[in-house]
Amino acid sequence: MIQYFASLNFMTLIKVLPGDIAQGLIWGILALGVFITYKILDFADLTVDGSFATGGAVTVMLVLSGVPTPIALLAAVLAGCLAGLVTALLHTMLGIPGILASILTQIALFSINLNIMGKANQAVSVDQYRLVLSSRFNAQAILSGAIFVVLIIAALYWYFGTEQGCAIRATGCTPSMAKAQGININTMKILALSLSNGLVALSGGLTAQYQGFSDINMGRGAIVIGLAAVIIGDVLFTALLKKRQNFAVRLGFVVIGSILYYIVIGIVLWLKMPTNDMKLFTAIIVAIFLAVPYLKERSRSSFSRAGRNGGTQNA
Amino acid sequence: MKKTVCVLLALALMIAMTACVGGTSANTSSPSMTSAAASSETASSSSAAASASSSGTASSSAASSSASASDKVYHIGICQLVQHVALDAATKGFKEALIAKLGEDKVVFDEQNAQGDSATCATICNQFVADNDDLILANATPALQAAASATSTIPIIGTSITDYATALNLKDFSGTTGTNISGTSDLAPLNDQASMLEELFPDAKTVGILFCSAEPNSYYQASVIEGILEGDGLSCSEYTFTDSNDVSSVTTTACAESDVLYIPTDNTAASNTEVIKNIAVPAGIPIICGEEGICSGCGVATLSINYYDIGYAAGEMAYDVLVNGTDISTMAIQFAPKVTKEYNADICKTLNITVPSDYTAIAAN
Repeated sequence: MIQYFASLNFMTLIKVLPGDIAQGLIWGILALGVFITYKILDFADLTVDGSFATGGAVTVMLVLSGVPTPIALLAAVLAGCLAGLVTALLHTMLGIPGILASILTQIALFSINLNIMGKANQAVSVDQYRLVLSSRFNAQAILSGAIFVVLIIAALYWYFGTEQGCAIRATGCTPSMAKAQGININTMKILALSLSNGLVALSGGLTAQYQGFSDINMGRGAIVIGLAAVIIGDVLFTALLKKRQNFAVRLGFVVIGSILYYIVIGIVLWLKMPTNDMKLFTAIIVAIFLAVPYLKERSRSSFSRAGRNGGTQNA
Repeated sequence: MKKTVCVLLALALMIAMTACVGGTSANTSSPSMTSAAASSETASSSSAAASASSSGTASSSAASSSASASDKVYHIGICQLVQHVALDAATKGFKEALIAKLGEDKVVFDEQNAQGDSATCATICNQFVADNDDLILANATPALQAAASATSTIPIIGTSITDYATALNLKDFSGTTGTNISGTSDLAPLNDQASMLEELFPDAKTVGILFCSAEPNSYYQASVIEGILEGDGLSCSEYTFTDSNDVSSVTTTACAESDVLYIPTDNTAASNTEVIKNIAVPAGIPIICGEEGICSGCGVATLSINYYDIGYAAGEMAYDVLVNGTDISTMAIQFAPKVTKEYNADICKTLNITVPSDYTAIAAN
């Protein structure tokens, strides 16, 4: 046991962090997309599993045919917006419940992605093409990722302060009141879903470049990671900054939540746990993470304090 | 309290940034430890050994055991895509080859499994690069691609990969990649498999090729064998399922429309052989499989390669690179050393198929 702890090398953990931070930043963009639908619009959007892979597929296929990478990423964003549009139309025009509409789109996107890529897996080598970022150069990847994240948070902060953005927030908050105020909630849902899935597709395109390939199943479980990041960010935000801070800080914490999730995976791998149990340990560590602030809060609430200090004497 | 937490987090981020900018010249001396799969308490080789620096980088280690190669302990990172009988056998062969050649206390394996998630492969390979491992074994295509993207200096040996050209998107592939990648392939000669199908079922007219659409290796084998079979006058159709959930419906359709089925070396099919057997055998449709594991589950015959053998060959290639200093960019991809014609006795009996005498029965276990 002591041998095991002695064998863990802390320096290795520090050296692994850059890669985890880079991945966390890229998936943070996905988390921002999930934040828009899950927190702002209050819509459980499972399309992300599909649109993430769509972003990767479109980016890789365009890069392979010689299109400059930034344009390929732009095309990926548009493809993601289309996917979000389909989900929104299924929900608003055909009346299909939101979560079901998103599942339908996700299933359809599997076939569409296969058609885009032609096969299940497509490699794009950083040696042959000019990519925006790659796991080979983690420092530059962190820089590029950070630039993307900052620009996106700034854009989102501006957008959700505009009238249209506020209308989206109202739709998510109380649809019936928003409708009563004259906001077209169907249009707002379409806008929010398109925007969200566009961001997710961008994240998929960046991930495909980072890991050097695009795979048909790369989006599987993406919604779980996105939600975990959003919730970790939210919990941290309320734990560290009690007062309601501004929106940009909240968005920043969403990305920090994603980075933390990947650092947790990095720690679990570093701990050299039996490989079968990696996902179990990740879940346990994330659960502890989320539970501690809640338990601290409960133990500090005035009722429990009264119970501890006073009890029956003061009743 | 909150402010101190914020400051600590910021400090941690800064350390991480300087670590990555400081980059590969940082040295770690990590005590060796046995792989996580085995129980670590029995490690006798707990002596501290200087970590090996990755080949090619100019980092100099004060404690490096450059004096004699026999003192050096090699750190090997193994990235396997998913738990699976064939992939596990390849990893086992690789480890046993290296332990046999180097000695058990001269090599330390860091065995990681991506649980079927290709994005985790990137995280695992990032870990190996940060650890400065001497060599990386990439078991399955996404692992190879993630490793290729993570490093261009650490030698990467691939195994259980059907076609390196498709996996790495190489044009004009002639057997060597010309980069830090080499390895062994699990491709059994497809024209021999096609001949086997025609030999056993000369009256068959339509062949259904059943595989998972999410596996690029299966696509490759399907398209090649389709070309061969259609050249011989048979008509082929592809039947693809997306994952374990649609296997039964797609197999039922395939059985209804074909005389014979062919399943390439497909990981998802290998996990679902019971389902396939329960549909094909009552329908009386024989299946030719790409490898032994699938054949023992649901097939009639196969031209089998042994995944343990290709893993072992990969281990020998790794030894070559590590100890003999062979340049990995000149090492050609190796294929399975021997192929055996095998048949599944039970299913052959149920379907009343007689196999020629040069086939060996798959041992039931």
